[in-house]
Amino acid sequence: MTRRAAVFACTFFGAVLAGCGAAPVGPGGPSVPSVPSAPASVSVDPVSSPAPAPAPVSVSHLTLPPGRSPAVAIRLAFRSGFADDPPGAAGLTALTAQLIAEGGTVDRPPAALKETLFPWAARIEVFVDADMTVFTTRVHRDDAAALVPVLAEVLTRPRWAPEEFERMRRDAVDEIEKHLRTSDDETLGKEALAHLVFAGHPYGRYVGGAVADLKAMTLSQVRAHASRVFGRARLTIGVSGGWPPGLPEALSAALEALPAGDPVAALLAGGGLAGVRMLIVDKKAPAVALSLGAPVDFDRAHPDFPALMVGVSAFGEHRQFHGRLMQRLREERGLNYGDYAYPEFFRQDGWSTFARLNIPRRRQLFSIWLRPVQAADAVFALRLALHEYDALLRDGLTQEEVTRAARFLEGYTRLFEKDADRRLGLAIDDAFYGTPERLAKLRAALPGLTAETVNAALRKHLPAAEALRIAVVTDDAAAFRAAVLSNAASVKAYASEKPASLLEEDARAARRPFGLAPDEVRIVPVGALF
Amino acid sequence: MRTFTTRRFPAVLALSLAALPGGATAGAFPYPVEQDTLKNGLRIVFVPMETPGLAAYYTAVRTGSRNEVEPGHTGFAHFFEHMMFRGTKANPSFDGKMADFGWHNNAYTSDDQTVYTDFGPSARLLDVIALEADRFRNLSYPEAAFRTEALAVLGEYNKSAAAPWLKLEETLVGTAFTRHTYRHTTLGFLEDIRSMPGKYAYSKKFHQRFYRPDNCIVIVAGHFDAPAVRAAIEAHYGRWTGRADQPQIPIEPPQTEERRAAVAWPSPTLPRVLFGYKVPAASDHRTAAALEVIDAYLFGETGTLHKALVLEQQVAEPFQSWSQPRRDPGLWAVLGTAKAPEHLPTIERALDEAIVALKATGIDAPTLGRIQSNRRARLILSLEDPEEVASTLAWRISVTGDVDAIDRFMAALDALTPEAVAEVARTVLVPAGRTIVTLQHAPAAEAGPAPKGPSK
Repeated sequence: MTRRAAVFACTFFGAVLAGCGAAPVGPGGPSVPSVPSAPASVSVDPVSSPAPAPAPVSVSHLTLPPGRSPAVAIRLAFRSGFADDPPGAAGLTALTAQLIAEGGTVDRPPAALKETLFPWAARIEVFVDADMTVFTTRVHRDDAAALVPVLAEVLTRPRWAPEEFERMRRDAVDEIEKHLRTSDDETLGKEALAHLVFAGHPYGRYVGGAVADLKAMTLSQVRAHASRVFGRARLTIGVSGGWPPGLPEALSAALEALPAGDPVAALLAGGGLAGVRMLIVDKKAPAVALSLGAPVDFDRAHPDFPALMVGVSAFGEHRQFHGRLMQRLREERGLNYGDYAYPEFFRQDGWSTFARLNIPRRRQLFSIWLRPVQAADAVFALRLALHEYDALLRDGLTQEEVTRAARFLEGYTRLFEKDADRRLGLAIDDAFYGTPERLAKLRAALPGLTAETVNAALRKHLPAAEALRIAVVTDDAAAFRAAVLSNAASVKAYASEKPASLLEEDARAARRPFGLAPDEVRIVPVGALF
Repeated sequence: MRTFTTRRFPAVLALSLAALPGGATAGAFPYPVEQDTLKNGLRIVFVPMETPGLAAYYTAVRTGSRNEVEPGHTGFAHFFEHMMFRGTKANPSFDGKMADFGWHNNAYTSDDQTVYTDFGPSARLLDVIALEADRFRNLSYPEAAFRTEALAVLGEYNKSAAAPWLKLEETLVGTAFTRHTYRHTTLGFLEDIRSMPGKYAYSKKFHQRFYRPDNCIVIVAGHFDAPAVRAAIEAHYGRWTGRADQPQIPIEPPQTEERRAAVAWPSPTLPRVLFGYKVPAASDHRTAAALEVIDAYLFGETGTLHKALVLEQQVAEPFQSWSQPRRDPGLWAVLGTAKAPEHLPTIERALDEAIVALKATGIDAPTLGRIQSNRRARLILSLEDPEEVASTLAWRISVTGDVDAIDRFMAALDALTPEAVAEVARTVLVPAGRTIVTLQHAPAAEAGPAPKGPSK
């Protein structure tokens, strides 16, 4: 079910949307079920602020047609993120956003704010990524009108209480010192890869910041930062679900009190640890975490992206089993719990397998993630993954693999739109990239993709194997480094019988050279990161 | 608070599911529910929803780590869940078929159940039913595949072992329970996981014993043609035979004194204290509902201890709690995370004082009303799509055996009075019924039980 919606003007995040036109929607529109089989149409209608001097700043609106859902979903998306952290203040955007979302308002201390929201089972949460920060809430439609002024109060009149600032700052430091560095090797591996690939660039930061920077941060710095990055200039107001009449307008009016804020700053090019191709993080660890990746010059707006999405899905769809990596490393050899690949930057959405929404980026990263491997098998597992990557680029996928991945995505992507909140998040991302109704168009393109098309796209756009940088988390960094530099064949033994073809494949993978020079492999103690 | 252990979900999924709302007052569950039972005992639950094009197909097996009564076989229910994806003669690649259908699938195992979760386009639902029925009836895998999968389970353990949570959980249940199978986690003892590759014959027997129609519940939620789906289930599962084994689960003797244990953690981490109180089984909806209220009243984001320790004194991080009851009497657990070691006693003292006050004066009526309102709203908000509905029902039904468990629970919640809450606190939240585990960074130390003693 697709409905056309109002598009008064088409500016959104500075991008121009195709397909402007159609009629406004509002409450009382056609009564249709709330989960469309095609993407919901979107109204994008920048609402001019009532001329606050000196320069009017446009807030964008993104209102999905009201459905029967009992829930109303609101996303306030700012084109601001940790890329806005000033030098020496890594973590400032995340701390600022958290203080706004949870630190109370001028009229409501934090506990009182929670008390207000509690009977509605509503929460105001915030998620920060490099280029976008989104404040989200869901509430029953009967409570939505009452929630609007509270939500606006949170954004426009933060309490900026010193005691809350200190509490959250200390939490942020603890999160790095006593969690990320010690107890979450999978995330640590991914963040080490980001550091390796983007060091010196805003994307090389950890979203939660850096210990020294956090300790030096002040509340006045936070307040000044908020007025710059969380203003109307960067805001899109998104509303979806069973919203009552007048809600988008009321929310828009209530958020007029936000400062204008700074426009989005240009993003730097470059980045990365010069001359380093493998970064080994030395820490106490029960197993070895491995992440590989390199920047790419495409994003989901590229015409080849459907082919790349299918190709990378067939190689290693996140937490699915049809991908080659998962089949080779886990299913056939039992090397670990999972092995995946991503055509663009990825974070998992909560406990689902879906990608988190509203983490769009202006530069993208192709990556491979091998979940922790026992130390004895880690070098072999890395070699096997690289061996598979070589084969992907050299020999390509079979038509059968391409067909299967395309069929999977045809169904799976419908689940991305399963509820009102997700449909809103997708529409916000589509506006960022200038890809309206992207998933519907992707699904339309899938049946026409052939192995030839997909393989050509993979060869054209994916990084060469030698361009992949590798992050390793292990408690025997010196041994790992020595093993990759020696290029000695890895030894892999199995407790169960394996087919001869598998053992032959192992023998080839076990000798795959790393081609790394000693100064390209750096060991870093975990305490030196973040 | 017991950990879910899954083939593809992170083990800590427990945190999110355990936080699901309990259910609704009679009729508070917001969708019509139809149920039926095939002649072979397979139960079917239909929840039609206006979600065009999407449906969820869940199969709950009422067997989890609770059923692992034989020594040396802990973790086997979870391991067997992995094996269920290894195909049949007719369909050697279960995952490949599901990918062809465009369906997302997964599974999880917990104490009381193993649940197979499918979600995708309604247009292929009948194909999914045929595929699911085939693997439940005709699962077939060679010993080599079995041995390989055992290594993936070990990989799952390794993945979880970097964080303190698994060790904390193992220590809590291992201290709180002496006989009941709740004394081991769903992942199982590490030595049992390591010996799994040699238990191929046992795995065949496991399938015969527990994967029987009378031990399973199929839940279909979303947009589907009910008569066609009913007919497909009858056609594909109808000739499935056998009766599930009902092993004698050891009965846990009454706990008579407080128990304590301490864990030394080798890496820097925030100190933690985990409290576990022995509580009645899920069938006691009144007690379960009162404990959920107490959970919110003390530990929730508006809870008294949250305000005092997290916001005002700033000596703790937000609490995590697990109030979902189990099939048998289990644990009601809450985790306090201190900002520094010296604050661990502060958390324990504050908890003791709060419970004493609760027993004496109960909970004030307006606060009880707000909590009841929160749970009603949370129920509605948590059941927006077919996956959420099937997931919530699968958990509740497999624990209680009762399709109406959500309605009964919410009815009990709504009927609570301040005095009823206080009475449950007086009955259940007693020192003699609790176990306390602390975890602190101590590089060279080994984990071990601490001396038993009073809490102060």
